[in-house]
Amino acid sequence: MNSSHFTSGMDEHAVVITQVAERQWHAVEDDRTVGRGDASRRPDGRMFLSIDSWHAAVFDQLADAMLADLPKPLYTVVDEADLDLTSDWERAGFTTRRREWEYLVPTDPRVTGLGAVLPPSGVTIVAVGEAEESPLRKLDREIRDEVEASVGWQEMPAEVLPRPDGATVLDPSKYAVAAQSDEYVGLVRVAPVTRQPRIGLIAVRSDQHRRGIARALLAHVLGSLHRCGIETASAEVNESNGAAMALFEGVGARRASSNLELVLR
Amino acid sequence: MPRTTDGIEVEGTVVECLRNATFKVELQNGHKVLAHISGKIRKNYIKILPYDRVLVELSPYDLTRGRILYRYRT
Repeated sequence: MNSSHFTSGMDEHAVVITQVAERQWHAVEDDRTVGRGDASRRPDGRMFLSIDSWHAAVFDQLADAMLADLPKPLYTVVDEADLDLTSDWERAGFTTRRREWEYLVPTDPRVTGLGAVLPPSGVTIVAVGEAEESPLRKLDREIRDEVEASVGWQEMPAEVLPRPDGATVLDPSKYAVAAQSDEYVGLVRVAPVTRQPRIGLIAVRSDQHRRGIARALLAHVLGSLHRCGIETASAEVNESNGAAMALFEGVGARRASSNLELVLR
Repeated sequence: MPRTTDGIEVEGTVVECLRNATFKVELQNGHKVLAHISGKIRKNYIKILPYDRVLVELSPYDLTRGRILYRYRT
């Protein structure tokens, strides 16, 4: 256990920073925990930090202790609207690596304009939960290889990141797919959260781009949600993914918030 | 390791998502507090929406402020 003492500046009480576990730090003032720091490794191997404190001075001391102990690069995520927290991390030397927009996506075909959208000739949509696991796994592998060869998975949403061994969690009950002949060529992953379903991933094999398959997949899942009485879904899109932003904004999705991924190299 | 006490933790319900990454939470005793979400919740991309039941840690410096530590499954 490592401890360091300092006076926070809020008053004359000393705050003690203590590493309480391999990747956990506490800030203690008068026997009371007034701040916590945590580091955890994502499935892709990157180390993400979080710090909770009530005062900037405590944040700084926790950050100093953690950064002195952990190997770089280090990452964190902040809500862009949280200016204080963003500023705290910037003081610690972190800079913005990427921005991810959260969209609220309407499901009503009268709003999305997707009511009459059909898949291109020769392509059929297999409803959520009805996809066969083996061809779905094959398509998932192909798409992951394509992403890895282009922008890389670090640009993808956290929930679809591969594990360190390359294996991926693939639950067919959460996917609708586009089928052509005897294979799958596109997929959409929907997390069936009752309060607000999340469209976690929509992807089409690169040799099938620009045929309207992603739009047809989106029309299918949004229509299904609307028939279940759900008015809105959510989706996170990397700001650098112009095609995905155009797809969602084209159906009336609006930006609700944004997260910044910050890095200290 | 020194013995420490954690902050005051109370359950509440999210009544409003405000624009500056804060939430208005009504506690079980009827009081309303302004709360941020904890770093762990943010790191794990857990979404907080109105009507969510949550566990809030109150600030020891200002009992009208808090931090959402946990979202209960509905």
